[in-house]
Amino acid sequence: MRAEVRRIYDLMEREGYVTDRGIATAVYLAVTLRKPLLVEGHPGVGKTDIAKVLARVLDTELIRLQCYEGLDASTALYEWNYPKQLLHIKLTEGAGHSVAHQEATIFSDDFLLKRPLLQAISCRGRAPVLLIDEIDRSDEEFEAFLLEVLSDFQVSIPELGTVRATETPAVVLTSNRARELSEALRRRCLYVWIDYPSAEKELRIVRTKVPDLDAHLAAQVTGIMQGLRSLSLTKVPGIAETLDWGAALVALHAQHLDQELVRETLGCVLKDEADLRTVEARLDAGELVGVAAGGE
Amino acid sequence: MAEDTSSSPLRAVDGVRTPGIAAALTRFCRSLHDRGLPVSPAESVDAARALQAVDLGDRAEVYFALRAVLTTAPGDIPIFDELFDQLWATGPRHPVTPIPGPRAPTPRARPPSTTAQTVAAATLARWARVADAGTEEPGTWRLPSALETSGPQVFTTFDDAALPDVRRVARRIARRLATRPSRRWRAASRGVRLDLRRTVRHALRTAGDLSVLLYRKRRIRRTKLVVLCDVSGSMDLYARLLLQFLFALQHSFARVETFVFATRLSRITNHLSGREYRQAVEAVSRDVGDWNGGTRIGTSLGRFATEWRRLTDRRTVVIILSDGWDTDEPAAMTEALTTIRRRAGKVIWLNPLLGSPEYQPLTRGMQAALPHLDVFAPAHNLESLDALAQHLLL
Repeated sequence: MRAEVRRIYDLMEREGYVTDRGIATAVYLAVTLRKPLLVEGHPGVGKTDIAKVLARVLDTELIRLQCYEGLDASTALYEWNYPKQLLHIKLTEGAGHSVAHQEATIFSDDFLLKRPLLQAISCRGRAPVLLIDEIDRSDEEFEAFLLEVLSDFQVSIPELGTVRATETPAVVLTSNRARELSEALRRRCLYVWIDYPSAEKELRIVRTKVPDLDAHLAAQVTGIMQGLRSLSLTKVPGIAETLDWGAALVALHAQHLDQELVRETLGCVLKDEADLRTVEARLDAGELVGVAAGGE
Repeated sequence: MAEDTSSSPLRAVDGVRTPGIAAALTRFCRSLHDRGLPVSPAESVDAARALQAVDLGDRAEVYFALRAVLTTAPGDIPIFDELFDQLWATGPRHPVTPIPGPRAPTPRARPPSTTAQTVAAATLARWARVADAGTEEPGTWRLPSALETSGPQVFTTFDDAALPDVRRVARRIARRLATRPSRRWRAASRGVRLDLRRTVRHALRTAGDLSVLLYRKRRIRRTKLVVLCDVSGSMDLYARLLLQFLFALQHSFARVETFVFATRLSRITNHLSGREYRQAVEAVSRDVGDWNGGTRIGTSLGRFATEWRRLTDRRTVVIILSDGWDTDEPAAMTEALTTIRRRAGKVIWLNPLLGSPEYQPLTRGMQAALPHLDVFAPAHNLESLDALAQHLLL
């Protein structure tokens, strides 16, 4: 293993992100080759955390852009501070400034509201980590616009001119595959697919993130979660749910998971009524918990 | 496979000077490309740069590095793994986890299509014959002019006098689709929200007085429709009226793409664009010679998913009109629908049989399809088509 990849791996682990070689290699290449990293996977498998951890590893600022349908350039890039502009015009009314002068003043940096993309590009000093979260929730127009920004890291503001990034930010995009992204965007990026973790990796994550959870209980929780994912549920629980559940059990001072406790706390894990019924039927049949409890 | 590496883009990358590695990488990229992965010379240059950055002696590291650069979707990974194993024939195999959401098969992987193209356009020819109003079938039931009072009527008993009513339904659907507000805004002289940017600009001319207020309003959401209609033998009873519906829809709404399928998929958007229904049906029956040999829904939908993927995006509603009698393996259906649904805004399956209270969607094809549908609804009479409008909203 290349020393740098090992270093990224170790740093990510030290920052509390339980990783694997595939993720570490991709993150290392994204930073080295200066390409955006597209992270795909089911909800709740820790896609967003990659960017957060990367920012800590690189000891730099994390700038986050949450995508949604209808997100447009003015929300993502910049907006003028209109109330401030109007106020300024009113206050300088009698000063006899020319329109050109007035315009130059109110369309200057002081009146500019930088949104995440512009923040990332115009950042002075160390290049930030730009997290573009849930890109699949934005629409095609925005994706095309984003592609443009990501290809040369410069934007032109009609009133100000072109702003160019001095340091290329490290870009992490996440997607739940709610919508197929364009081929062009995919090709621009390095790609990582994060699957549900193996039992062993999940246990490691639980132990890292919920250190107060009893070791035996953590193993039980992990075992049940792995079992749940093998059922065909509408909303398959991710690692985020495992951790929620672990934290809930800590809060309840639970010592041992039995059927009753699982049933009472199932809401941490399953967020769909039909799923709840499916799993409750399994519990009634003595499944899921039986295996884990049998290990005692 | 060509061994020509002199033209390889990899020569341009420092460090990958070792001809052996450059050649192997070029071959590898080409074989990925041949299997349908989006790998172009630009990606192979990136791959070469990635190889410079990793430990070439470490199989896992080379694997993960190349995978990050050369794959773009989870479905790529099994193909990548297979070819990587060939590239790196020695050493322990990397454990591969199965990954959901398979990419549709590449054209190369598809078995040769059946050549059973019997001349069976007779059905369509028959529809064309009766297309001239209701004169040929005297005594058939005629629709009252107002749809609301018509009551449920099964398509099979309709003659072409129903075309005006079908048109009315189609137009109503089109109107519904055309007036959906979007989440995006556009400038307007009157509207619901102030456009501060333009207002302030304007105010500059009047020394800051907001003498003119400029507004913005929501754009109209542009929904598109793709209709895939089953015209196999089992659909014979319904296909005539469905075709009228497709024709009417095509004429009421600009953004419709229409396909028919039995064992093969045919695009008939252009056929339906003629002014006369009769001519349209004649054109279709002339060019679509595929009305026999069963129904291959999975294959046909799969073909749509791969070859016509550019037609579907988030703002597309895909409507499938079929009774679900499929001779393909259910896996083909599952795969095709998974792919379509991932790209489309909504997938609607209209099944004429669903109009019958006894009908249960138990066929293997229908069973395979159900989990991948947003809407499963009947399509046996005009009312059910009219009800379609409410499902089309994205």
